[in-house]
Amino acid sequence: MHERSLVQNLLKQVRQIVAEQGGGCVSEICVQAGDLSGVEPLLFAAAFEEMVPAVFSEECQLKLDLVPVTAVCAHCQHEFEVLDFQFHCPECQSGSVDVIQGDDLQLISITLEPKDSHEGVSA
Amino acid sequence: MSQQTIIVKRDVQAEQKADAEVERVRLGRRGTLVVNLLSSPGSGKTSLLEETARHFAGRRSMAVLVGDLETDRDAQRLAPLVPVAQLTTGGACHLELPLVQRGLTALGDPAVDFLFIENVGNLVCPASHDLAEHLRVVLISTTEGDDKPGKYPKMFRTSQAMLITKLDLLPHVPFSVEAVTADAQRIQSALQVFACCSLTGSGIQEWCDFLEEQHQLQLAAYHEPAGNR
Ligand SMILES: [Zn+2]
Repeated sequence: MHERSLVQNLLKQVRQIVAEQGGGCVSEICVQAGDLSGVEPLLFAAAFEEMVPAVFSEECQLKLDLVPVTAVCAHCQHEFEVLDFQFHCPECQSGSVDVIQGDDLQLISITLEPKDSHEGVSA
Repeated sequence: MSQQTIIVKRDVQAEQKADAEVERVRLGRRGTLVVNLLSSPGSGKTSLLEETARHFAGRRSMAVLVGDLETDRDAQRLAPLVPVAQLTTGGACHLELPLVQRGLTALGDPAVDFLFIENVGNLVCPASHDLAEHLRVVLISTTEGDDKPGKYPKMFRTSQAMLITKLDLLPHVPFSVEAVTADAQRIQSALQVFACCSLTGSGIQEWCDFLEEQHQLQLAAYHEPAGNR
């Protein structure tokens, strides 16, 4: 269960971005977890629920989208969705393929509420 | 003033990956190949390291960082053979770079030929954490069944080698070297596969030859002026 460590990295990143924006109240954090990210969505959401109140306002929502694994063939450049973790090009059968999406956890966006309607977040 | 959405689109582990890359380059430039060993508990990582240390004795220098949830038993076994530091995760299921760096400091940051990281026994979480390794090796013992690659795809996708251990038990267990190899290579076609038995020493020579070859191959990139790692 390493989701706590991932949530910690996420919240640190969000806090930095909020500081760059000059503060604000974070109402939503959108993330995308790939099928090959090693993230278990339920565990991630539970870790988020538990850890977020210490950092942001309790109304801060998590939006977690799952994305399939996409790869591109190094031989014929065919782009395809990797099904059942079979990393072979369906066009030329080559096993030399590079994953271009779905192997990481991405912070997609942050929604900030105007400063005057809530207490500012210190970063 | 109204609500504002800031588009970020950044890897949550970007900072950790960048730190790992800096450390990888530092260690590579001075001639240390970092090998991250991952497996389920009880697959024989410590026995393999004992055999590796005996094989390299007097010819190649090595050090080991042992990741353990609580105890230091594995470190104690290795201590008479090689410099070893214990990394106790306090129950956490995987190692992270800062802990590895602390272990290196505890060892006096030795300029060894090989630095082995014996990761915590777990095939899920460690796969998502870059420990500055040049080589990631997944161990699978003949006693744990040959259906592991499909269950833990990320581990096999991100490893460069698979080492089948406890080969001596093969006649007694339902395990097919061919099936597990085919399965793993469907996930990572470039995966190199070795089989060994620490008890009899079979396959240790091939494993150590592979390490020597990787040492030369991977670290050569750091000596080229326009190396792209
Ligand atoms: Zn192709």
